[in-house]
Amino acid sequence: MKAIYTILCLMLFLVLSSCENFLDVNENPNNPQDAPISGLMTNATYETSLNVYAIGSITSNYVQYLASPNPASASDVMEASNYSGLWFDLYNVMTDLTDLMQKAEEEDAGHYLGAGQILMALNLGMTVDAFGDVPYTEGFDFSSVTPTYDDDEALYSEVFSLLDQGIQNLSGTTSISLGGDDFIFNGDVSSWIKFGNMLKARFMLHTKGTTTYDPQAILTALASGMTSNDDDATVIFFEQRFNPWAQVAINNESLLLGGWISTQFIETMDGTSYDVVDPRMSLMIGATDDGEYIGVTNGAGRGNAPEQGARSTLIPDQFYTYEDSPLLIATYAEQKFIEAEVALEGDPERAYAAYLEGIEAHMDMLEVNEEDKMAYLNSPEVSMGASALSLADIMKEKWVALFLHPETWNDARRFDYGYKDMTLPENLNGNLNGQYIRRLAYPDNEVSRNGSNVPDVTLLDRIWWDE
Amino acid sequence: MKKNSTYYLLMVLFLMLNGTLMAQQINIQGKVTAAEDPEGLPGVSIVAEGTGTGTVSDINGNFSINVPNENTVLVFSYIGYASQSITVGTQQTLNVVMESEAKGLDEFIVTAFGISQEKKSLGYAAQNIDAEAITKVKQPNLVSSLQGQAAGVQITNSGGAPGQSARIIIRGINSLDPGANNQPLFVVDGVPVDNSTIESTGTPRGLSNRMADLNPNDVASISVLKGAAATALYGVRAANGAVIVTTKKGKAGEVRVNYNGSVGFETLNQLPKLQDKYGQGFSGEYQPSSFWPSWGAPIAEVQQTVSDHKYQDNWNRAFNTGVQIDNNISISGGNEMATFYGSFGNLQQEGIIPFSNWNRTTAKFSGTVKVSDKFNFSGSVNYSNSGGNRVPHDRFMERMMYWSETTDVRDYINEDGTMRTYSNTNPIYDARFATYEDDVNRVIGNINLNYIPADWLSFSYRLGTDFYSDQRTEITPGPKGIVGEVPLSSTGYLEETRINSRDLTSNFYITLKKQFTSDLNASLRLGNDIFERKYDRVTARGENFVIPEFYNLGVASQIFTSQGKSIKRIVGFYGDLMVDYKNYLFLNVTGRNDISSTLPKDNNSFFYSSFNLGYVFSENMVLPSWLTFGKLRASYAQVGKDTDAHILGSTYVSPSIFPLNGQVGFTRNSVYGDLSLRPEQTNAIEFGLQTAFLNNRANFDVTYYKSNAKDQIIPVPVSDATGFSSYITNAGEIQNSGFEFILGGTPIKSNDFSWNISANLSINNNEIKAIKEGIDEIVVGSQYGYAGSTVTMKLLEGEAYGNIFGSSYERLGTDPDNIFLDRSLPIIIGTNGFPVRTGTQLILGNAVPKWIGGIRNDFTYKDFELSFLIDFRTGLEQYNQYANFLSAFGKNEFTEAREDFRVFEGVLADGSTNTKEVWLGQGEGPDGVDYGAGYWRNYYRTTSENFVSDASYIKLRNITLGYNLNPDLLERTPFRTARVSIAANNIILYTPWDGFDPESFSAGAGGNAIGFTGLGYPGVQSFFFNLNLGL
Repeated sequence: MKAIYTILCLMLFLVLSSCENFLDVNENPNNPQDAPISGLMTNATYETSLNVYAIGSITSNYVQYLASPNPASASDVMEASNYSGLWFDLYNVMTDLTDLMQKAEEEDAGHYLGAGQILMALNLGMTVDAFGDVPYTEGFDFSSVTPTYDDDEALYSEVFSLLDQGIQNLSGTTSISLGGDDFIFNGDVSSWIKFGNMLKARFMLHTKGTTTYDPQAILTALASGMTSNDDDATVIFFEQRFNPWAQVAINNESLLLGGWISTQFIETMDGTSYDVVDPRMSLMIGATDDGEYIGVTNGAGRGNAPEQGARSTLIPDQFYTYEDSPLLIATYAEQKFIEAEVALEGDPERAYAAYLEGIEAHMDMLEVNEEDKMAYLNSPEVSMGASALSLADIMKEKWVALFLHPETWNDARRFDYGYKDMTLPENLNGNLNGQYIRRLAYPDNEVSRNGSNVPDVTLLDRIWWDE
Repeated sequence: MKKNSTYYLLMVLFLMLNGTLMAQQINIQGKVTAAEDPEGLPGVSIVAEGTGTGTVSDINGNFSINVPNENTVLVFSYIGYASQSITVGTQQTLNVVMESEAKGLDEFIVTAFGISQEKKSLGYAAQNIDAEAITKVKQPNLVSSLQGQAAGVQITNSGGAPGQSARIIIRGINSLDPGANNQPLFVVDGVPVDNSTIESTGTPRGLSNRMADLNPNDVASISVLKGAAATALYGVRAANGAVIVTTKKGKAGEVRVNYNGSVGFETLNQLPKLQDKYGQGFSGEYQPSSFWPSWGAPIAEVQQTVSDHKYQDNWNRAFNTGVQIDNNISISGGNEMATFYGSFGNLQQEGIIPFSNWNRTTAKFSGTVKVSDKFNFSGSVNYSNSGGNRVPHDRFMERMMYWSETTDVRDYINEDGTMRTYSNTNPIYDARFATYEDDVNRVIGNINLNYIPADWLSFSYRLGTDFYSDQRTEITPGPKGIVGEVPLSSTGYLEETRINSRDLTSNFYITLKKQFTSDLNASLRLGNDIFERKYDRVTARGENFVIPEFYNLGVASQIFTSQGKSIKRIVGFYGDLMVDYKNYLFLNVTGRNDISSTLPKDNNSFFYSSFNLGYVFSENMVLPSWLTFGKLRASYAQVGKDTDAHILGSTYVSPSIFPLNGQVGFTRNSVYGDLSLRPEQTNAIEFGLQTAFLNNRANFDVTYYKSNAKDQIIPVPVSDATGFSSYITNAGEIQNSGFEFILGGTPIKSNDFSWNISANLSINNNEIKAIKEGIDEIVVGSQYGYAGSTVTMKLLEGEAYGNIFGSSYERLGTDPDNIFLDRSLPIIIGTNGFPVRTGTQLILGNAVPKWIGGIRNDFTYKDFELSFLIDFRTGLEQYNQYANFLSAFGKNEFTEAREDFRVFEGVLADGSTNTKEVWLGQGEGPDGVDYGAGYWRNYYRTTSENFVSDASYIKLRNITLGYNLNPDLLERTPFRTARVSIAANNIILYTPWDGFDPESFSAGAGGNAIGFTGLGYPGVQSFFFNLNLGL
């Protein structure tokens, strides 16, 4: 009996002492504990472009580039939809950028730090423009499970500060250089600096209606901004992953309906609202089976029109919808329209020149032939002369040049949706009391997970720069 | 601290038994036989009452035991036989004939580690299902065969596909984690085995739960251990209960050969009510290439000009008659030294959706060897090969929705092999060419060694393995390059998946027995249990094949790969003390300490215990003679639970889209695992009463249980702004409580005729007691519905598991704080005459049944047997995605009213009764009003409440008529036994549900989003012809 007892105890002991190693197998074999800084940059540049697409796909119905084929669709009639996915995407990129910036600082990779700060500013700025007050200072590091919200105006200061620091860091030294891991500029640091300045101008322009507006500062930033279409910030899409707008067009062909063009867009382009046919129309959108351009009125739906061939939609293999089309984050054309708007008060000549340059830059992007381009630029509806140039003219051409881009919704809100012939969608969300939407609702996920911090707002409550 | 207390307890228990032993004096020898068989009966337990000594009869039924004196009483007991108590007296040789017992296997039950235990002694509820009840229901999937047969056990077939998974839930859902495995542990011959369901990526295809690999014909019995008390000894993996499967073994004696074979036929068991009046087109206009299958003109009207235009009855014609052929042969036998059992089985099944099939080939060998009185060993190997072509049933049914009702769905292929279509994808063409084949090779094996140095002491060791490889090949063809073809995919792809999984379990235990006084017996088991699971999956996908229809990864233009690995280990120590007093009071105390590799090192060791008391009052007090047996049971138990492997801390992942342009991107994993995670704990109490009346002619058993799973390890959804979306931590509590009733009896028993009945009924109440502070809800899953009718299953504090949220009609007098839809309030009708919809998400129903139950009846008359099994469930609602799609496409029967006017019942916003008449059709109505896409598309399909409805059912699960060949006739044949039978499954389905069989659901057995039918593989009914022969 004693022997057995001893053997038992010994066995127990042996098993116990070897347990430690035996059980030490929990390190994750699939996901590394750390990621290379270049891998973070690759994903951040890629996902940032997709965030621009994601917001653009929401706001394109608000600004009436697109219209839903179904009546009273939530996006057309400006209902409070649940954009939990978008919210995740924005914070996911900002989280990765937080890690990237921290690593860049540790590794003295100044250029990574700078590019990271610019991307952070862009994503944060887009988030604020869509939602207003959002979490930031308590965010990203899990210091709080329910992070509090920062004031949107204060976050704008952070955006500008990040852009300034970014530009400065990109101008300095770096231990590691950006390269093919940077999907936007392929490691071209001077393009990053121009991009940073252009974004500064973009976000400063948003503040036009506020006391902090400083036109001179914008013009100063623009002086260091983009100088041609070659400087455009874009991500060119891939064989393995098509441009998301191309995917919309492909899906629509296979009856997953989307990318239907709004009547507002067609009437702006086809000579209805303006006395000129825009040669870009046929390069941007598809015609019906009969070769006509017919839109859908926002909120009305397609009525009895069939799924295919009777209305204009995005179609594959146009400038915006090639499988490997660039996804536009910020363009020289946009910069020119920023310049035109800022210069309009005080220097109409400069404004007019920038306005024409903006149109031309967009036409060149679409490869409009010279003859059509000149015909359009020379039409009296377009070349009204410096003295006759109005904000509405600039906004109209910027609206065309920023087709599908989310920045147009910022313009639209500043411009009180004052585009020519633009009317409220049919079946407008009753809660809007006959007005246009001014912000996105906080997503359901955020409300259910961080409800006590989420501000109580309606879709009519404006972002600070829109008040 | 905890670790220490465990060891102290184990030591103390050990020392208690470490006493001296009594001397033995008289040696008794003899042979035990069964009444119906003069061969010896091996394995009979023989215990000298009041001495703590005991033995087991050998392979020939012989035994030898030393007893202290002539007054010693020997108790002979064996599963399925009546126990006998015999006073030794002066005789030295004792031959005992065991009488089989009417109540059969019920008296004994296999509990933890394959130990057979007298049911009388249990302090908790456990239920046994014998081989006959399992094979009679003709379910190829062992899990499905339990349906309706055990109280508190809910089985749901996820669909009617060959080999498709079935889900088993015992006593409710125990976890708030939407991804949790809430199913019990399956144990085969003492070895825990894998019952996971790995669904296809992409569209649902209805794969198998891994228990489907086991051939039900090899099963001798199944016992279901329901509560924490029953499973405390299996540790963390049995926190949801355990299903203990014992496979067939050989018996000493003549070699016996058994054959059983069956042929079965399957058909669709229920169709939704469909319209057959309107054909292809939209807005009441016929259009031969229209996408719209049935919003067109009346078929009869078009027929006058288009002669071949007719209703094609596609919903009946698209499905085949399924065929199932099952052949099994077994051979068993042995001698006093060794026994063996071997079997071979083959099942071939073709489903009702064309090109769906599943085959299973199994081979089993088991043997026991008795080396000496002190040493014996046994082992078994179960090999199986299973798999088939898994058709994309969800897509098939979706394409059926889109397919024109006036175009023959069976006419699907052109001579050149391209699809024949008017423009939409043909479902049968897709089912044929978009293939997904799995091929699973699996070995479940075990070796047992037993060393019995003395009557009071034995050492046992069991090593078990469960290994499988699962090879999956998915092919969707791209274009063939033929002009005018409609390809299934613009690129075509091949996806190869290789899964390897290996479980190893090692279990060593020592059993000590001791008698303290003549009234007090005790036995103690101390053991060590080690578990390891290694899992590895590699997936490679090729797209855009350079040569059409040549599918090899080497010739794909694009390749995507991914890999997932995991390893998990658990080391457990346990003690199990059983004390019985005067054979009427039974106490069982267990303690177990697990150390899991998945938890943080500081918290990875945890102890839990259970206490069970059984009091057989019928043996302790004088009771009326009609009360044959009565027992009260009570138990309190804890079960600890660990978590999944590799979830702790923060990691980075490379999204599957990479590499792009040769770059591999990384993002911070949005899941963060708490570094101070603790084991989760379930506390359960259970009370029960077991009674038998009129000499066991009737019995009744009732159980009350309540279990609280606290400190749940769940992925708490957190604000994305934190840098993570999900935080795996200890949070929340879920409670299940309920009653289980079992009623059985033999109302009639005569020489020629007998009638046995057994029924079970259970009710479960579930409540989510807590989530984490600041977190309002957990989303379990959602399912698509057209135009805002998508539904979501969410967990809310204070509510039950399984609530389905969705949109509804606005109602007058709605309490804005009420989260439940109150269907009794009047619907508000808009000024346009149609009901007003609200997108506010309200609870429309709950998908977890309140009541489940089953009744089994067995009649025998001379050589004939008739049995039937009915099961039912009630008190649940499901989302009917079929109905949503059917209404969107004008296929439901009620859309025949499309040329009618209707005044919708309800009130206007001011409370006055609606009187406005509206037209239900599309376009301009006879009243000149433009109704656009019409009532069903504009209103009906957009509102979830139209599709969340009562999914109760009563099913005649099985009915079997059998004939056993009369012994007189048998004598003229070479056979020892012969039996023919016919059986039918699911031939009666009674349900308020309008649709396919409401049992099918889309998540598969592994998912918890159970309330969504999806476009699941429709349920089937089947007919079988069976033949059993014994040599």
